[in-house]
Amino acid sequence: MNLLGLEWFNPGFLLLLPLAVLPWFNHNLDKTVAWVNLVPMDPLSRFFNVGLKILSTLVITALVLALAGPSLPEQKVERIGEGAEIVLLLDRSRSMDDPFAVKHQAAAVSVGGDNSKRNVARDYLTEFVKNRPDDRFGFVFFSTKSVNLLPLTYDKDVVLATINANALGKGLSDTNMAEALLSSAEMFEGQAYRGSRIVLLVSDGGQLLSDEAKEQISRIYKEMNLSIYWIYLKSNQAMTLEESEEDSLLWVDIPERKLHNFFKSIGVPYRAFEAGSLEAFAEALAEIDRQHYQTLIVEETLPHEPKTDALLWLALLAALLLAASHVYTFWGVKKAHE
Amino acid sequence: MRLSYQKRIMLTAIIMVVALLLVMAALWMPHIKRDVKIMDALFVIDITDSMNVQDAKVNGEAVSRLAWAKEFTRRTFLEMPCGAHAGLAIFSEARSLILMNPVEVCSSYHDLTQMLNKFDPHMAWARSSEVSKAVYTAIRQAKEIEPEPTIVFVTDGHESPPLHESLFPKFDGKPGEIHGVMVGVGGEDLLPIPKTNEQGEIEGVWGVNDVMHQDVYASLQADTTMNVPQARTEHLSSQKKSHLQTLADRVGFEFVSSPTKPGKLVDTIRQVSETRPQTIDYDLYAWFAGIALILILLVYLPYGWFIRTDD
Repeated sequence: MNLLGLEWFNPGFLLLLPLAVLPWFNHNLDKTVAWVNLVPMDPLSRFFNVGLKILSTLVITALVLALAGPSLPEQKVERIGEGAEIVLLLDRSRSMDDPFAVKHQAAAVSVGGDNSKRNVARDYLTEFVKNRPDDRFGFVFFSTKSVNLLPLTYDKDVVLATINANALGKGLSDTNMAEALLSSAEMFEGQAYRGSRIVLLVSDGGQLLSDEAKEQISRIYKEMNLSIYWIYLKSNQAMTLEESEEDSLLWVDIPERKLHNFFKSIGVPYRAFEAGSLEAFAEALAEIDRQHYQTLIVEETLPHEPKTDALLWLALLAALLLAASHVYTFWGVKKAHE
Repeated sequence: MRLSYQKRIMLTAIIMVVALLLVMAALWMPHIKRDVKIMDALFVIDITDSMNVQDAKVNGEAVSRLAWAKEFTRRTFLEMPCGAHAGLAIFSEARSLILMNPVEVCSSYHDLTQMLNKFDPHMAWARSSEVSKAVYTAIRQAKEIEPEPTIVFVTDGHESPPLHESLFPKFDGKPGEIHGVMVGVGGEDLLPIPKTNEQGEIEGVWGVNDVMHQDVYASLQADTTMNVPQARTEHLSSQKKSHLQTLADRVGFEFVSSPTKPGKLVDTIRQVSETRPQTIDYDLYAWFAGIALILILLVYLPYGWFIRTDD
């Protein structure tokens, strides 16, 4: 419950607050005297009488409030950090179940093993995410249809759990790259620009995009100020994304190259990393890590802050004075009776 | 009972000193360790077409089974004790696809619900609905997660294509090895199923001739005890309770049909799960402060209204 800008853990206790007036209607400690006029007027004792009542009210109020458990609610504060906002676009297609960077054909038949491309991608991305405390990550579900599964979040546990889940089970039969690229851009829609926006694509293949999709992607990516990083998990060591002199006829026209050329042509910051080995994969992530420490506005959530102790201190001080005065009174009365 | 003035003064002094000590204890007593039982749960939500049938109720309003499943799951997160973990998965075609491994349910509640809200028939990658196989894949994948989560499978149990009882897909795991609860959703009446197109938009309903009405293998058999003409109702859907019960028994899950209280479901999850203890810091301040308050109030209660205290 929210009251007075504070969150109350047990608001029910607040119903006890009226009890704080009890000391003012109380005569338990009065001494009956035969004739009131016999008692001399004593401003000092009147003062003490009122003071003690105030103290008692204070103790009761403070204890009741402390029991109700007030705390300052969670607060979002913005601070300047260093990092980036990264949307992860992880290929979940069947081919990602194949082993990564095998040297000979015999090893290539073990599907879905520990060294599958999906598992390797998981391991390295986990490291990457852990090393970047100020980044905000989002995650796109990349299948026949794409869905912005996890909107940009600072919660590292959630991001890691999503990356881990991505490595479980078999891949999906059909993936739609154009749709996934558009979904990634949508992630930033309506968000204030905080600095450094990245779409990180990790895949082992390219796809031909329709002209319509190309037009849309290049427009939106420019509009939203996005950078593209593509970690391309090569299955063929000799193949390169850039054309070269020793090109085999087999890969002149493959979709990967077309996608690469398209990314280069749309005029947004783009870099491709061709990872043919674990080292190359690690190097690619390290490079992104180095490049993206730009100043960024980071939103941080301060956990709610209990305010019980302050009330208990108040109760303690009031109770100390009360106890002292009552002990003194008792001592005085005892002396008088002796 | 009558107390002399002197005795009242003495008692008050004693009470005030004790109350003072209690307030001190409330402030400075160290926290004690206490164990709470927490569980890890993986919520698998059916997103197949039959889940679009509007025969579930949220706050008295008729909503789709999927909307109910999402809302009920969200409320279940809220009922789970802090420290417990929850993960999310969807089921379409013949498999469960895990989307988030279990995370701590209180600190990650916001992101869990964000993801849950995205669940949509859109995400289905094929238009079939093989519940039993999806349960088996969920079990297989749960084994790969550390610690192994309890599966909470929210579905209406509608198998499409239909299954003949004797031709159940084989379950190769050990029943009860992974714990779980089947949560049935949907009404008793057979209702038409909204049909989604490639884009995931609803376009009319499944017609009687759009779907298979008999198990493919059973229909091929000459054995007339198996290959009996069936009522052609597979294009309609209701909650398949007996099928869900059979399936639950086969894999060693509990079956709960249309639960109404998320707290009860959490109790069921706790019962079937292998809970693990988690030590939390428990602050005793409330006890000390409470007793101190009672003592001080004892001094000021208006006894005079009930008994004579004068002397």
